[in-house]
Amino acid sequence: MAPDVGFLRFLGFTMVRAGQGFWRNRMMSLAATATVILMLVLLSGLAIVLAGLNSGLSYIESKVGVTARLVDGLETTAIGALVDEVSALPGVELVEYVSPEMAMERLEQAYADRGQVLDTGGAAISLYASIEVALTDPSAAAAVGDALRDRDEVEVITTRQEQYDKLLGVTNVVRLAGLSAMVLVGLTVVFMIVNTIRIAVFSRSREIEIMRLVGASDAFIRWPFIVEGMLCGLIGALVTVLLVAFVWGPIQPLLIEIFQMPTAVGAQFYTVVAVLIVSVGLTVGMLGSWISVRAHLASGA
Amino acid sequence: MSGLAATAGEPIIRLVDVAVTYPNGKTALTNVDLEVGRGDFIFLVGPSGAGKSTLIRLLVREQVATHGRVYLAGRDVARISRAQVHRIRRRIGVVFQDFRLLPNKTVRENVAFALEVTGAPLSEIRHRVPRLLSLVGLEGQSEQLPAQLSGGEQQRAAIARALVHDPAILIADEPTGNLDPVTGWEIVQLLLEINALGTTLVMATHNQEIVTALRRRVVALEDGRIVRDELGAAYRRG
Repeated sequence: MAPDVGFLRFLGFTMVRAGQGFWRNRMMSLAATATVILMLVLLSGLAIVLAGLNSGLSYIESKVGVTARLVDGLETTAIGALVDEVSALPGVELVEYVSPEMAMERLEQAYADRGQVLDTGGAAISLYASIEVALTDPSAAAAVGDALRDRDEVEVITTRQEQYDKLLGVTNVVRLAGLSAMVLVGLTVVFMIVNTIRIAVFSRSREIEIMRLVGASDAFIRWPFIVEGMLCGLIGALVTVLLVAFVWGPIQPLLIEIFQMPTAVGAQFYTVVAVLIVSVGLTVGMLGSWISVRAHLASGA
Repeated sequence: MSGLAATAGEPIIRLVDVAVTYPNGKTALTNVDLEVGRGDFIFLVGPSGAGKSTLIRLLVREQVATHGRVYLAGRDVARISRAQVHRIRRRIGVVFQDFRLLPNKTVRENVAFALEVTGAPLSEIRHRVPRLLSLVGLEGQSEQLPAQLSGGEQQRAAIARALVHDPAILIADEPTGNLDPVTGWEIVQLLLEINALGTTLVMATHNQEIVTALRRRVVALEDGRIVRDELGAAYRRG
């Protein structure tokens, strides 16, 4: 079906006027765009970290009962002796030594199982050597952990539950702090856009008055300002998408190194983040300008 | 109905017992009854603060009466939804004492702007704007900015813009207030020509000479009330 000619005229008018408005009011528009970028960078960072942590949580769920991270440079004989001692503990089914190389292979396999390829961007990642203890009785986890805790060969003991709880705690804190910061920054952004558009509206109040008098509909008056606000959001979103693309590579190995598990998120998640950034940018821009223009137009009879 | 198509004999403007009182208690209009026939020319006179501007704002639906009814071509303007107000405004042209032209647009662009913002096609804009500029005698100044024009020329440009939608009513609020007497008379002559073409004309003015010389219908307002409504009257208070 051919688009309505009147609507196309309206669309053309709106776009041209919004672009002119953005340019005429460019200092304020750019300031508003900068706050949009700040908010969207925060949002994308939060989305990436939360997705990574959730990914780590599901990985932990699939792991063995107790893991002892070993100190660096242990002799093979010392490792063998430790494995034998732990194997003799009650409730222990199997003890397996995981070398740093094996840990890396497992990590790659974990990615491969999700249909992704681990890409460290050329960064050298060092994973720890550990022994993994499978239990016949899950309640033996505490006793096994206690037996390993004071040994010189062992650096850190983690049971699955401990590790899970710890990561869940981190995830909750990040989520709460991130969302609180998002709300605050989001409000600031809306406030900035409201003021930017308010200034634009006041600077063109004569035009608006004339538009009303000659019979322009509210849509012709309102939408150029709304699109102007959306333009701030869109430009901010596009800049953020580029920034995230730029740091996407280095983030992946960094997260793995910190958490020692596949917390990094796949390349396809970038598309999700990009769509999220653009949607939020446009919505915030539209919301701010809508509030501003609505207040101004409502003042007329 | 989207315009102001009045049925035969029906006044194009009718105010019935209209009052406007502001929230602070100040009364701008009281007990105003007024009928204006299609094609009429009336002068609205009265001192500053008498209610002329409020009456004009009621007619263009920038304001609604707090009491009584305002009808345009038989239609109660208070009942026109906000979304439909612009259709009525396209049928009412308004010119002001201070012209209200956009300073960064040429005369042609100022007139075209009134069509652009109502979604008129480009072909219509190209067709109508030169005709209107010709009607008001500004063919030669179409590419000049308002600042490059005399006061009379600016008012002519404002009149061309007010006529852009071929309005049934033209409201002129002190159109000669910023002009010298000769230029003022030229503008009045132009308004008379527009009126002769069938457009109802409501002119608010303080200009005694023009009102007295033309001997048209005069509606005098004082303290928000109509104190005189006479045909062929001279300018006088009360």
